[in-house]
Amino acid sequence: MTDREPMSGTTDCGGDAAAYVLGALEPEEADAFRVHLQDCAVCRDEVEALGGVVQALPLAAHQYAPPRGLKRRVIGEVRREQATTGRSVARTRPRRRGPRQLLAGGAATLVAAAGAVTAIIELSGGAAATVFQAQVVGISGSAQLRVTSGHAELVVRHLTPPGRGHEYEVWLQHGKAAPVPASVLFGVNSAGDADVGLPKPVGHRLSAVMVTQEPLGGSPHPTHDPVIVARLHGIS
Amino acid sequence: MFAQRRNLKELADEDLMVLVRDGDPRAFEVLFDRHGGPAFSLAYRMCGSRARAEDIVQEALVSLWRAGGRYDQSRGSVRAWILSTVHNRAIDSFRREAARPTRPLDEGALTERLAAPELTDVEAERRIDADRVRGVLRELPDDQRQVIELSYYGGFTHLQIAEMLSLPAGTVKGRMRLGLGKMRIALGEAGVLP
Repeated sequence: MTDREPMSGTTDCGGDAAAYVLGALEPEEADAFRVHLQDCAVCRDEVEALGGVVQALPLAAHQYAPPRGLKRRVIGEVRREQATTGRSVARTRPRRRGPRQLLAGGAATLVAAAGAVTAIIELSGGAAATVFQAQVVGISGSAQLRVTSGHAELVVRHLTPPGRGHEYEVWLQHGKAAPVPASVLFGVNSAGDADVGLPKPVGHRLSAVMVTQEPLGGSPHPTHDPVIVARLHGIS
Repeated sequence: MFAQRRNLKELADEDLMVLVRDGDPRAFEVLFDRHGGPAFSLAYRMCGSRARAEDIVQEALVSLWRAGGRYDQSRGSVRAWILSTVHNRAIDSFRREAARPTRPLDEGALTERLAAPELTDVEAERRIDADRVRGVLRELPDDQRQVIELSYYGGFTHLQIAEMLSLPAGTVKGRMRLGLGKMRIALGEAGVLP
């Protein structure tokens, strides 16, 4: 605290600090408290002191060894991602940009975000499916694009649901042209899963499939950065 | 290869994070070995289901792998970063599925408790700290411990807790403040917090 800072911004100053560090304030209250913190040294001190206690609370849980299969699953997924991207995922993530910039540079964004991907040929029911691992950016979950006899299906698992009043929209990119709507909107079930078929057969010029979060009903142009990018190659 | 692995195990968490940022999965594996147990224990304490706890930890750790470049040492330890991510992921899952554990945990349900002989010196010290934190929480008055546990482990807001316990919202906040304040003093005296 400095000498010039006020001791208190409100008469019940400090009353929210404990609930704040516990994450127990309602979202609007937390936003207001964050603003209050900028001017109130007393609350900042209290948040710092009580925040240390909250950081210690995980220790109060009885300690178990992780189940044997868990490490295999986690490290397996990490190694798969490392193998498909060939380097740190964090370095291939595009920076956040405004919608206007996204529209202007949509094609470049796709190429930069996708990085290197691997196509895997699978045999399913007698038909060969080409599976493209997609990159999921800024949200949790996994996604892959499966192409069978020219028909594509986007398969997402454990995906973060779209925000309130929003849904996911699929975009297609041909060559290096700007992405165009695939006329497909989707949400996910409680597990974050969805199997989304694309309505038209994919052509050889299709270079990428991406997904953005858009207001309900969709948008004529992407208004957010893509959260899923599947870069295609070798489609015939 | 073995020498390399041994060297990685000698690195501090913060140094391992530099390698993780550069995409080294072996460094991430060492971090899992160090913090996978506490991460799973926290998730299990919060959701009460082994399968769900595993899903939460997997989601959280894979997201951390992807976000390795965003780790900021000035904002806390790697361990705190991992555990807060697991905590947030569990809360997200509660809110997404509107499901929380409905009955007290059966602590005997898991058979893979960390066995004392497996502990390194650092882990043994952490276990002692864990016992102290558990003891301090247990010694709080019931009404203060209850609101802290409901909010931190259950992910409930103070208004939800007030409704659940038929209390004024201000009382819930007051109990949180009193409880955390007492814990701050007790953990400082016990040497767990500076």
